[in-house]
Amino acid sequence: MAAPLNNPSAFTTPSYLQAFRPASSMNANRFDEGYSEDTRSQTGSDLVMRGEGGLELDLQYSLPDWVLEMSEDARSEFAYAILRSLRTSSVAGIVDKLNPLLHLDPVKQLPPEITFQIFSYLSPETLLRASALSQAWRIRVIDSSLWKLLFRLEGWNSNFGVVRQYEEGERQRRMELRDRERKRRSRAAEDKDTEKPSSKKRVRERPLFGDGATEDSGWGEQHSLVEADEGSGLKPDDRMEGIAYDEASPITSPTTESSRRRKRTSDPGEDDLALLPALTSTNHPFRPSLLLPTFEPKINWQYLYKQKRRLEENWDNGRFVNFQLPHPKHAEQAHTECVYTIQYSGRYLVSGSRDKTVRVWDLDTQRLVLSPLVGHHASVLCLQFDERPEHDLIVSGGSDCSFILWKFSTGRMIKRVEKAHNESVLNLKFDDTYLVTCSKDKTIKVWNRKELWPTDDAYPLSTKKSAARFPSYIIDMQHQVENQHLHFRPLPPHTLIMTLEGHAAAVNAIQILDGQIVSASGDRTVKVWDVRTGACVRTFSGHTKGIACVQFDGRRIVSGSSDETVRIFDRATGAEIACLQGHSNLVRTVQAQFADLPGNEEDLEAEARDVDRNFFEAQAQGLLDEKMTREQRRARNAGSRDPKSIFAFGAKLPPGGGGSKWARIVSGSYDETVIIWKKGADGAWEKARVLYQSEAVRAAGGRPRRPVAHANGPPNAGNQAQNQTQQQNHQTFQALAQQAQAQAQAAQTLAQQAQALHAASQAMQPSTGNGAASTNPSAVPTPTNAAATGSQAPAQAAGPAQQTPAPGPQQQQGAGAAGGQHHHHHAGAPHHHHHAAANHAAGGGGLNAQATSRVFKLQFDARRIVCCSQDPTIVGWDFANNDKDIMLASQFFGSSV
Amino acid sequence: MAGEDAKTVTLTTSDNQSLKVDREVAERSILIKNLLEDLGTDGAEEIPIPNVNEAVMKKVLEWCEHHRKDPPASQDDDSDSRKKSTDIDEWDQKFMQVDQEMLFEIILAANYLDIKALLDVGCKTVANMIKGKSPDEIRKTFNIQNDFTPEEEDQIRRENEWAEDR
Repeated sequence: MAAPLNNPSAFTTPSYLQAFRPASSMNANRFDEGYSEDTRSQTGSDLVMRGEGGLELDLQYSLPDWVLEMSEDARSEFAYAILRSLRTSSVAGIVDKLNPLLHLDPVKQLPPEITFQIFSYLSPETLLRASALSQAWRIRVIDSSLWKLLFRLEGWNSNFGVVRQYEEGERQRRMELRDRERKRRSRAAEDKDTEKPSSKKRVRERPLFGDGATEDSGWGEQHSLVEADEGSGLKPDDRMEGIAYDEASPITSPTTESSRRRKRTSDPGEDDLALLPALTSTNHPFRPSLLLPTFEPKINWQYLYKQKRRLEENWDNGRFVNFQLPHPKHAEQAHTECVYTIQYSGRYLVSGSRDKTVRVWDLDTQRLVLSPLVGHHASVLCLQFDERPEHDLIVSGGSDCSFILWKFSTGRMIKRVEKAHNESVLNLKFDDTYLVTCSKDKTIKVWNRKELWPTDDAYPLSTKKSAARFPSYIIDMQHQVENQHLHFRPLPPHTLIMTLEGHAAAVNAIQILDGQIVSASGDRTVKVWDVRTGACVRTFSGHTKGIACVQFDGRRIVSGSSDETVRIFDRATGAEIACLQGHSNLVRTVQAQFADLPGNEEDLEAEARDVDRNFFEAQAQGLLDEKMTREQRRARNAGSRDPKSIFAFGAKLPPGGGGSKWARIVSGSYDETVIIWKKGADGAWEKARVLYQSEAVRAAGGRPRRPVAHANGPPNAGNQAQNQTQQQNHQTFQALAQQAQAQAQAAQTLAQQAQALHAASQAMQPSTGNGAASTNPSAVPTPTNAAATGSQAPAQAAGPAQQTPAPGPQQQQGAGAAGGQHHHHHAGAPHHHHHAAANHAAGGGGLNAQATSRVFKLQFDARRIVCCSQDPTIVGWDFANNDKDIMLASQFFGSSV
Repeated sequence: MAGEDAKTVTLTTSDNQSLKVDREVAERSILIKNLLEDLGTDGAEEIPIPNVNEAVMKKVLEWCEHHRKDPPASQDDDSDSRKKSTDIDEWDQKFMQVDQEMLFEIILAANYLDIKALLDVGCKTVANMIKGKSPDEIRKTFNIQNDFTPEEEDQIRRENEWAEDR
């Protein structure tokens, strides 16, 4: 039995223990949670009495044998009789003495694995309070594995691979250090052993190392020289790392971390000592550091927990620093036109642009890793990459209807699939097995990533049971089973294996997860497909206009639409469980992280049932109006559990979608803002913060995009920006001309994109046109105008050389389709006023209305939001806010929340 | 199982007391259950429980008796990764209203006998005694000796400030 460590006999000597318990406690109906009046006496009476034979030691009188031989009950009665014979004051004195014995320290009574379980029920705040109770409590509470559990129970993700890698790297480094230390010592020992060696050897060697001084000093010098050599072998590295990364990046490797630590120690002679286990900072004996002070390097999860909380606080309080790609000092590395797509992972970010290139960036240095990847004949609209060596792949798709596979590490083109679709490839996603593409041509196509045999699990299940279209070379295995002698041939990688048709308009966005394809279309619906049969499993409707983006985490589908909302659907039931309103234009990109607690499916379902029950009860009690007002109907529900706001019931997820309090949604829109959404007190999603793309560019030290801002000189620009402004004063004319061209092109592309998004909603608009939709067309400038205005203002400055490109058929087409979009853009007037003020660009109204930083794509992780937009510069918000500890810890956090 | 007799077992506690209980009740303890299965007996011989005394064993069996029809503890032990609630059902709460010594002994016995649900209830009970109290109140509750210097205590308090905001 796991007996308490410091008192091993306590529970094996029941007769002693029971001697102090009133007989009544056997009935176990006395709950003792009162306070002992006196906490001083435990060490005195309690512990001693608990020891072997301690009973007698503590008492002035040893009990006679005949008393000890009495039964528990008899002894109890006997003691009571004695007590009754005493004066009340004496009894009170005894009660005082006994009272502390009723209050036992669990940390002393219970083994660590049990206090671990007890502590796992407590909040971090309570635990930290408990860590100040006593040394013994502190040791049990500040336990890395306990905080690892707490970290997980918050619903936070961590990257165990990186943790292991870091620990292993640190272990290796320490081993090398110890090796070196051992060699030095053994050499020193040899020296001692050979104190009186054959003088021949000495004489022969001395000239090599010594300077002819005394023998001893000669040897001594040798050692100090060797040491110095080894030391200096490390130090130039340190310095280089310091210069290369200190400013821009957190520490990413054990080596850099250790070098940092080394720098802290003032005495270089202590370097090696400082590297060995005692890594705790001596300045703060109670402050957790990244590594535990153990012999084997172990990450301290209390440190990670603490830094994660501090990082979350930065998110909540809007504390961030902006950065941009490229680094302002390397502006020449920027895309030359708007950037449609980005993805980042670890330290790498890959972007695709209207300039037809794909670029690979190092987020730490903010510079290109490779020269731009050239191969697409038109805009790059979508991409995905996986930098892990076993994949080493970028796939990009674009307006040239093709997709290209590139080797991530070298940028070499592996394969180009021409005419993958009949029109632009708008989005693509791959997992280990499949590559899925979707297009303006309304179809979704599935391609195999590896050689595929008809007998493989990944092979299409049946060519008959769904509406999917299969190429002729896909055989129906169910049909072929009897045919024993069939000679199967494998499909080479990247062969089309099925085409999914069913959307009535362009398919704008796609996801693949666990064999399910989720597609979002301009036809206002989201569809879920089975990747093996090609069957459409479910269609989700709710959006009132075309859908631009979608995210799927297995349970919830989160989508952003031209109806300016973000909506959350329950995958299992199709119910719309939240509608987030706050953008004033098309929501082009969205990412959600619900920070689910491990294994909370049932909890969520129970929560959903509770909400349903409350709703029906409220309904039965007549608390709900039979009919919702138009405002209510329009307001939808952002996730509130108030029965009055409930829209859908029977879902497997509660309103809002569930998840922990750390849940977060970030959306980017053509209204040029990025909104961070958090759940409020009632569970409804609320705008927690609005970020402006253009402000981020300026804060990142980049080139503000609006010409007017240039002319006035940016008031809050940093040094770099000022330098640039000076430089640009010479080039203003040229720059403006270039910008004008870029913007005109951007407008054109937007129109194209908009066409894809809106073809369907446009078609449907006349029929729905009784509300707001029909009141606007007259007020709305035709999209053609908008596109033209977009280029006119700067074009005027630049002179007639930069005329709006002649509207080709495509642009006119796009213009027609973009109607809804521009209308909304203008409808968002209040926001734009704010925006304009923020930009100090409140000059010409035409310029104002012209969108220059529509957000196309964003991604966030625990630490950063990165977004790309009409602006060729990619910008980010780094919520580590230059805090060294947070940056150090962030590398271990999962890729999302 | 052969006959009614097979359904009882006799447990011998550390203080050499024999307790006869229904096998179903005793098998709330995974330790005893496995032991009985390994022995493959009809429960004729006495099972020694050398780490638990009679008083505690009686208390533990009282709990087992009340919970004899509970579904067996799930084997997929993901309880550690679950969101922790310290809610305790009413009967268990009452059951746990004992002096601290008995409480800790029950916890230790549940741990030794491998009665997960009882261990959970015991740990939750202790957790609830810590929750919502000031450090001084906790010290009084458990008679904890504060061996920090005031300076150290102050340092700890300042170090913990990062968690105080919410």
